[in-house]
Amino acid sequence: MTVAQHAQVVKSASASIARPGAKAGQTSEFTLISKLKPGAAERVRALLADGFTGERQKNTDRIATVHDLRFVIFDNDTRIIFASTFDGGWEKYIDDFGGIIPDEIDLLFHEFEGYPGINHPSIKDWIVAQQVTAVGFYSAYPSASVRDIWKALKIKGAVDTLLDVASN
Amino acid sequence: MSKSADILSMPTDKIPVLEVSDIQATVLRPRPSPYRGQYVVLRIDDAAQGREMLRRIIPYIAPADDWWLPTLPGWMGIGLTYHGLKALGLPATSLETFPQEFREGMASRASILGDVGDSAPANWEYPFGTPDMHVAIAIYSKDEESLETTLALARQSHHDLPMISVVYRLRFSELPNGCNPFGFRDGLHNPNVEGSGAVVHPGSGRPVKAGEFIMGYPDELGATAISPEPEVLRRNGTFVAFRKFHMRVAAFRHYLREQASSPEDEDLIAAKMVGRWRSGAPLVLAAEQDDPELGADQDRNNAFGFGDDTHGLKCPFSAHIRRVNPRDALRNELVATNLHQFLRRGTNYGPPLPESVMEDDGAQRGGVFLLIGVHQRQQFEFVQSQWITDGNFISHGREEDPILGNGGGDGIFTIPKRPVRRRLHGLPQFVAVQGGEYCFMPGLRALKWLAGLEAGATA
Repeated sequence: MTVAQHAQVVKSASASIARPGAKAGQTSEFTLISKLKPGAAERVRALLADGFTGERQKNTDRIATVHDLRFVIFDNDTRIIFASTFDGGWEKYIDDFGGIIPDEIDLLFHEFEGYPGINHPSIKDWIVAQQVTAVGFYSAYPSASVRDIWKALKIKGAVDTLLDVASN
Repeated sequence: MSKSADILSMPTDKIPVLEVSDIQATVLRPRPSPYRGQYVVLRIDDAAQGREMLRRIIPYIAPADDWWLPTLPGWMGIGLTYHGLKALGLPATSLETFPQEFREGMASRASILGDVGDSAPANWEYPFGTPDMHVAIAIYSKDEESLETTLALARQSHHDLPMISVVYRLRFSELPNGCNPFGFRDGLHNPNVEGSGAVVHPGSGRPVKAGEFIMGYPDELGATAISPEPEVLRRNGTFVAFRKFHMRVAAFRHYLREQASSPEDEDLIAAKMVGRWRSGAPLVLAAEQDDPELGADQDRNNAFGFGDDTHGLKCPFSAHIRRVNPRDALRNELVATNLHQFLRRGTNYGPPLPESVMEDDGAQRGGVFLLIGVHQRQQFEFVQSQWITDGNFISHGREEDPILGNGGGDGIFTIPKRPVRRRLHGLPQFVAVQGGEYCFMPGLRALKWLAGLEAGATA
């Protein structure tokens, strides 16, 4: 069995498994807490020094289901939290990371201790082992997806233009 | 949570007696009208001479009980900056009990206050934003002759003290009809300070607890100030945000001409930006055209709220007066408007730009505002950062106050209208900050205490 085939088997096998993370409407929260590799904190800081701008912003936008995400280093630079809010199901969220921006994800996560690589067969088991479900999760717009919001903003822009034209 | 907001807006019975003979007149007394005066800033290079200057000037600092019968040709108000208190020899143990914004100085708050671009501290006049601003004196008189007399008294306080220097002077005087340089009657509204004895006109709102404006009395949350220390220094004192604005009158007139379809429309757009017509008549009470009689009538020109204008069709949500003093407009929001009020003592400087002149004549003209309150971060700083230089609280995104905002050529101003709203684009910056600082305005006993400080004394 090739790695890709194996991954397919793992994916379909895990599709029916209950996944961690709390839900609010169609959005879910994702909180992953992991140890950092020795000396990794400074490297992660350097990596994220420019934030999610430019190419990284564009690449992350391509996933189009992530409302927000953050990396938080704590415990004297020994541990890290990755937290985000996303639309739809857990499996697709992870698959999208691996399918759309695998290099970017590997770059950001390879400093997490034990991280196997986004397209490694054991990735989902590793994530499940590190993920902690929130005890409280609030969303101001639980029914709106990232795409809904982008579309609404586009419409708002168009309506603004329309109203400006109509009133002049 | 809305319950606590209700409690906040509920007046309690006990009204403390204000020690008006110890509170500076500038805090509680409206400036005269007409008025003439001067702001003077001093630098102290020797603590003993600084205290001598204070001793000499204290007899001329008017207390608020001399309200109806001024015994002098004019009166003075005095404020001290953080660096000023230090220069007078106030010990560090006392200095460090002053509020953060006061210790840091207004220039260091620029990013919070939206003092950017042309209004950035780097562009301020000397000595604003530098450690050289120590003592700010406001001198008010009713005419030129009385002003000269009062200025002479002020000068005597330091003329033979070589370590006291005048680092700034600005003359101010009332423009025709009590208007500001943009041509609007101003200084129309101030909060009603409980127990102050000021004449209350309809619409000035329910009394606001004195502790919001003067230390030593309970504030709107029932708390009495416990700092700065010692008590003798803070009692009957307050803080003032000093702001000097340059007003670009020609740019204002140009923009109105560009945007309007007729001279009447120019007046309407201008009124929509301010929330009042030039006469002072509020849009809520005169939606279609100016009503000079209403504007001049103190018993009517504030007797309004925004509760009946929930769609902003008369007075836009973004209008200047609706932003800085929302009255009842935010009553359904979780915001305690009673915590965000301050007293305003405004004066204008510079010659008026003659009517119908469209080109800038290069003259310096504008306004100086003393924004007075005990909790500057909740009062001036909150209003400036949340209500003037942002629009989110009225769901207007980043739209700013059309008059005081930093339009900078890409500002917008939304005028609600049916069937289709009107929105103006390309708003330039009409007002630039040219200087500002936080000052402590002590009570008269506290001033005497400061004047009596001995070298090395501990507070």
